Amino acid sequence: MILAFAAYPGVYALLVNSGLSAEVTALLPRIETLVVVLFFALFAMSFDFISGYTGYLSFGHAAFYGTGAYLVALAANGKIPLLGPETPFMLLLVLAGVAAAVLALAIGSVSFRLSGVYFAMITLGFSQVLYVFMRDWDFVSSAPRDGVAVTGTFEGFRIGVPGVDGLSVAIGQLTGDSIEGLFGFINLSPTEVSFYAIGAVVLVCYLAMQRLVHSPFGRTLIAIRENEERARAIGYNTYAYKLGAFVVSGFFAGIAGALFVGFRRSVTPENGFYFLVAGDALLVSIIGGFGTLAGPLYGELFDATVREFLSKEGGGGGLLPYLRANVGDATLATEIYNGLTVAEAIDTFLNGHAALYVGLLFVLFVLYVPNGLLGTARDRMGGRLAKAVPRHLRRWFDG
Amino acid sequence: MSAIAHAAASLASLAPAGAALPLQFTDALIEFLSPTTLADVIVRGIAEASLYVMIAAGLTLVFGLMGVLNFAHGSLTMLGAYLGGLVLVTVVAQSTGGAGRLLAFGVAVVVAFGALAALGGGLEIGLVRPIYDRPPLYQILLTFGVTLVLDELARIVVLFYGLQPTTVWQDVLGTKPAFLADSLGVAGVSASGLELFHILFGVATVVGVHLFLTRTRYGLFVRAGGEDSEMLSALGVDVNRVFTVVFALGTGIAGAAGVLLAWDPSWGASVPLAAETLLPAFVVVIVGGLGTFRGTVVAALIVGLVDSSMTWWFQNFVDFTGLPEMVVFLVLVITLIVKPQGLYGVSEVGGH
Repeated sequence: MILAFAAYPGVYALLVNSGLSAEVTALLPRIETLVVVLFFALFAMSFDFISGYTGYLSFGHAAFYGTGAYLVALAANGKIPLLGPETPFMLLLVLAGVAAAVLALAIGSVSFRLSGVYFAMITLGFSQVLYVFMRDWDFVSSAPRDGVAVTGTFEGFRIGVPGVDGLSVAIGQLTGDSIEGLFGFINLSPTEVSFYAIGAVVLVCYLAMQRLVHSPFGRTLIAIRENEERARAIGYNTYAYKLGAFVVSGFFAGIAGALFVGFRRSVTPENGFYFLVAGDALLVSIIGGFGTLAGPLYGELFDATVREFLSKEGGGGGLLPYLRANVGDATLATEIYNGLTVAEAIDTFLNGHAALYVGLLFVLFVLYVPNGLLGTARDRMGGRLAKAVPRHLRRWFDG
Repeated sequence: MSAIAHAAASLASLAPAGAALPLQFTDALIEFLSPTTLADVIVRGIAEASLYVMIAAGLTLVFGLMGVLNFAHGSLTMLGAYLGGLVLVTVVAQSTGGAGRLLAFGVAVVVAFGALAALGGGLEIGLVRPIYDRPPLYQILLTFGVTLVLDELARIVVLFYGLQPTTVWQDVLGTKPAFLADSLGVAGVSASGLELFHILFGVATVVGVHLFLTRTRYGLFVRAGGEDSEMLSALGVDVNRVFTVVFALGTGIAGAAGVLLAWDPSWGASVPLAAETLLPAFVVVIVGGLGTFRGTVVAALIVGLVDSSMTWWFQNFVDFTGLPEMVVFLVLVITLIVKPQGLYGVSEVGGH
């Protein structure tokens, strides 16, 4: 899977330049979208880490994402004491995680006295307090409602191995590095560089979380999810375990938020702190597989692909430009019903309304595929895919 | 480091610095405690509380009986606002008098209630019923998905008919009788006609739901089902039908609340109304204790009064526009910290 992601930009470029160009641009997500998939999947994973593994629905998880994002944006604008605009991004990344983890410790220590719906609601309450606060706090920018844009530095944020300049690259939509002539033949655009650099950070975070999930610590979390009273009866201090998991989850959510600002160079209360951001994480976790760490990645990949396919602008591909280019004008102008032409119907029911179809799919998943894509695949294969797929293949070839 | 530290720092910087503070504060306090201001704030608070009761009553009924926290409630309110607005815009002409407009409002409420109740019943039978035996998490997820679908459908329809170049559907506001916009003064206390209308409507809803719960057969089932739905079905009651009826009733009330909001210039019919009403409704229901109607009424009063007095304070004393809104959620957080089950909640219900 990692290889597939690593190869994607190359394959994408190949296909775009091939005979299937129109179909490819319409169907496959752009590299830019994939960058978003990566950091948002990290956020969704951190959400899944607490909600999927302990069963506590953290509905205010956007608070940690937003904290990480705002910390980076404010530090880059020189608004945070001791953290000037020239602070290395790698340091900011860690600090964003730590800030979110501290916040998670504060929120979690209060919230874990509650359970079930009440837990979901108190975390939602905390995050909405922060959301409204950030929306109206004129310290963050002159128009806090519109969020913060990074204006303090005009260079891209640099990701790399600390201390080794040669291994660090600038990322960002507008101001990133491009690489030419690597190994003599690889050329990468700024977006592709961002893709690999952010991908590397996400991979490290994923592996760290995976390590935790498969450690005794993670097993205890699952025990809490399955039967908290029994876990407590065995002698586990479930409160400490839940709080620990919450803090870890907050840390990685903060890093995801920091990556988000690193790439986008701006953040608003709506895409940082609003509760529907956590709702999106929930959505992709369910589609991908609740309680499987990699599941959210697949869910987010799916979600982003559908959204881009049905995006209103059709920038860089999607349904509308494809149809415009490939369907005859006569067909588009045909009247279906009461003056509604095909083109208008597409515009009305498809274009920019991905949320409808993703929502319908979400409902169907909750009803019929509660384990999500990855969870169901694992159930079918009888184990983790990395182990099960080769086993099945071997049986095929042998039998 | 974190946002909390920022919050403290910013709150300190919000208040005027130095020795002038106590004097200003006393002035403001004296002004606030003067009978007219206080009465003003209280009337406004009760009017707000009436709205909160309206949007939360259905939620609490559904949770009380079935333990389902209905995330789609806000969307249903939004649909009610559009539907009621549609009726009002069609029925009310420029020449219609005040009484005629009130009558049209009544028609709109009935239509919205009926349509939403039918939709709610359908949702319950088609989607919620199959997953009662799953953990409550899945019911939250399901209704959350329904919200996404309903909101997007509404957005498609609104865009298609070009209802909404602005965020608030202005045509509906124009169907209000003139006397609702006037303000009525009694002994120095002024309240707008709309506020009094809200209060009347809210009180009617509270009385209605209370009578339903205490005087009707279904009300009895609801109260019994909240305690022990297995026992209820053992006694020969068709629990599934009770669930459907109550779900339909709850969504119907949400629809009626929507019609009321459509006339209010500070809410109005709009797609974001779904999230805007869902969150305060949650706050009210949780603060009151999930599933207790009495708690919901008390919590609505608390939230309404806190909100209106905070609005006054932050207009006259410190300048931070978002704070009243923030205070609503602070009420939620503080209540849950102090009393985890809400004001009148029972712990078993919260055990979900």
